[in-house]
Amino acid sequence: MMEHKILLVDDGRDLLEMLCSIFRRAGYTDLVTASSGQEALQIWREQQPALIILDVMMPGMDGFEVLREIRRTSRVPVLMLTARGEAEDRIEGLEIGADDYLPKPFLPKELLLRVGAILHRTYPEPNRKVELAASTVDLEKAEVWKDGERTPLTAKELQLFEKLYENAGRIVTTGILCETICGEFWQGYESTLSTHIRHLREKIEANPSKPVSLVTAKGLGYRINLKGAKS
Amino acid sequence: MNPVQRFFRRYIFSTVGILALFLVVNLLLVLTVLTAGYMSGTDNGLSVREVSGHVTEQAGTWTADDTALALLQEHDAWAMLLDESGTVIWEQGLPEELPRSYTSAQVASFSRWYLQDYPVKVWSREDGALMVVGFEPNTLVKYYFSMETPSLMMFLVGAIAVFVFNLLLMVFLMLRNTRRVEKAMSPILRGIQDLSRGSYQPLDERGELAEINAGLNRAGDYLMQKDNTRAEWIRGVSHDIRTPLSMVLGYASELEDDDTLPTDARQQAGMIRRQGERLRSLVEDLNLTTKLEYALQPIRRETVNLAEIGRQAVSEVLNGGLPERYEIEFSEEHPGRAARMEGDTALLRRMLDNLIRNSIVHNPRGCHISVTVGAEDGRCTCTVTDDGVGLDAPRLEALNREADVASTQDGEHGLGLKLVRQIVKAHGGTVQFWQAVPQGLEVCISIPTRNV
Repeated sequence: MMEHKILLVDDGRDLLEMLCSIFRRAGYTDLVTASSGQEALQIWREQQPALIILDVMMPGMDGFEVLREIRRTSRVPVLMLTARGEAEDRIEGLEIGADDYLPKPFLPKELLLRVGAILHRTYPEPNRKVELAASTVDLEKAEVWKDGERTPLTAKELQLFEKLYENAGRIVTTGILCETICGEFWQGYESTLSTHIRHLREKIEANPSKPVSLVTAKGLGYRINLKGAKS
Repeated sequence: MNPVQRFFRRYIFSTVGILALFLVVNLLLVLTVLTAGYMSGTDNGLSVREVSGHVTEQAGTWTADDTALALLQEHDAWAMLLDESGTVIWEQGLPEELPRSYTSAQVASFSRWYLQDYPVKVWSREDGALMVVGFEPNTLVKYYFSMETPSLMMFLVGAIAVFVFNLLLMVFLMLRNTRRVEKAMSPILRGIQDLSRGSYQPLDERGELAEINAGLNRAGDYLMQKDNTRAEWIRGVSHDIRTPLSMVLGYASELEDDDTLPTDARQQAGMIRRQGERLRSLVEDLNLTTKLEYALQPIRRETVNLAEIGRQAVSEVLNGGLPERYEIEFSEEHPGRAARMEGDTALLRRMLDNLIRNSIVHNPRGCHISVTVGAEDGRCTCTVTDDGVGLDAPRLEALNREADVASTQDGEHGLGLKLVRQIVKAHGGTVQFWQAVPQGLEVCISIPTRNV
C-alpha cells in the first residue's frame, strides 16, 4: 500500500510541503508534487501515479479542468482538495469523476483515512487476509478460517465485512451498512442486517454471543476490531 | 389580503363615510337654516290674528284697544276691517288713496298678492268680517306657489334621483381615483416591504411616480450591495482562512503524534490542534449562517432519515476519539419506526453536530450526552440532553425568545446555536431550550415531515 506513487497538486508551496510531511510520516515514500495544473498533467502523463491529490483553486488551469483532462483517458483515483467548502463544488467534483472530496481545513488523520480507503478499493492487495481475534478472513476467496476450519462467506456477508474492514476500528451506522447490502432504498431492512451480522458472527467469533471482533455500538451500528487493536 | 390592500380598502370605506357624513350634515344644516329663517320671520312679524283679537264691536261701533294700536305702530302698518259686503267698517291709518269698499274679486286678488303695492296680510274672523293689515310698500315679499299633485311627486322623485345620481357619480370618481393611486402606490409599497425582508426586485422607473421608484431602486441597490459585500467579505475571509488553518491543524497534529518530542510539547501541540478544530467549525458556521441569512444557499430537499443522521453524527463523535470524561448515547423513541422527513442532509447533520459540540465545549469537566430521535403526528423530533452545567434562566429565556441568538452571544453560545435555529427555521420547525432535570441543558427540536 505504501509503495504507491502519489501525486500532490497545490499552488501553495507551504501546503505541498506539509502534505509531503504528512504522507512521509504515515509511511508513503514515493511522492511527487506539482504546483500548477499544467505541471500536474505533465507529471501524470510521464510518471503515471497511483493516486492524485488535486487542489481545486489554482491560478490558470483549475482542478476541475485538470480532472476533466485526466478523465478523458484515465480512471486513476483522484481526491479533490478545496478551500471552497460549498456543496455545489462537491457535487461538481464528484460528477466529473473525483473519487473523493475533502474540504480544507482538514486534519491529517482525515486525509490519510480517505487516501487509505481509496487505495484499498482501487488496488486490492492479492491474498488480502484480515486477522481477527479468533479467525482470519480471506477477502479474495470470501472465506473464513477459524480453528483450522474453512467456512465460505455469502456475497452479502462479504460486502458487509469489507465495508466494516474499510472503516476498521470505527463505528459504521446501520444506515450505511443497510445501504451497502440493499442499495439506496434500505429503509426497513434493519432486521435483514441483524440476521447477516448474526451469521457473520457465527463464522468469525469464538463465542458469537459475546463478540469481540464484530461489536455492536448500541443504537448506532457495528464496528470491526482487528487483531491486537484496542477495542 | 395584504396590508397594502387593507390600507386602500379602509381608505375607500372612510372616504365613502366622509361623503355620506358630508351630505347628512349639509341636509341638516339646510333644514336648520330654513327653520331658523322661518322662525325668525314669525317671531318678528306682525300677527294679523292678534291685531284682529284686539279689535271689537261695542254698541255698533268698532274700536281697537291700545295693544292693537301699539302693535300696528310698532310695525309701521295700517289696518282695516271689511264686512261681508266688502265695505270698510273700521280703519286705522289706512292710506287715503286706497278705496273704502272692495269687490270680492279685489279681495281675492289682494289677499294673495298686493293691494296697490301695499303688501297685506288678512285674517278671516269668526263673525264673518275680514281683518286686513297692510305694510309700507317693499317691506314684505309675497310669493304664491301652486302645483298639481302628480307634478309634485315627479319633482320629489326627480330631486331624489338627482341626489342619488350625484352621490353615485362622486363615489365612482372617488373609487377610480383611489384605484389609480393604489395602482401607482402598490409597487412602491411592495418594494418597501421587500426591502425590509432583504429581497428586493427593482421597480419600473416610468409613470408619474418614476422618481420615487428610482429612489427606491437606488435604496434597494445600496442595501443589496451592502449585503452582498458583507456576504462576499465573509466568504472571502472564510476561504482565505482555510489554507492557513490546514497548515496549523496539519503541523499541530504532526507534532502531537511525534514520539521524539517531550510530553509537554506534544500536549501543547494537542491544544493547538483542538483550538484549530474549534476555529474550523467556527468558520464553517460563519459561512453557513451567512449563506442561510442571505439565502445564498437554497435548501436541498430530499427524503432523509433523521435517525440515521443522528446515528452518523454520534458515531462520528465516537470515532473521532471522545475523551473518557464524556459519554454519548443515541436512542430512538420508537425503534423500528422510520423518522423520515424532507430535509437537507448536510444542514441537519450540521445542526446535530453543533448541539453535541455545544454540550462538549461547555462542560470541560465532562458530561453525559444523550441524543434521541422520534417521529410522531407528522413531525420528527430530536432531543439533545446533557447533565452538565446548563444555562441560567435569563440565558435560556433569551435563547427561547425569537430574538437573534447572536445578540445573546458572549463568545460561546453564539454562532453555533444561531445556526441551529436557522437550520430548524429553514425546515419550518421549532427549537426549545430547557433546563434539564436535575441539571444540564435540554434542546428539543421538532420539524414537520413535510415542510416545503
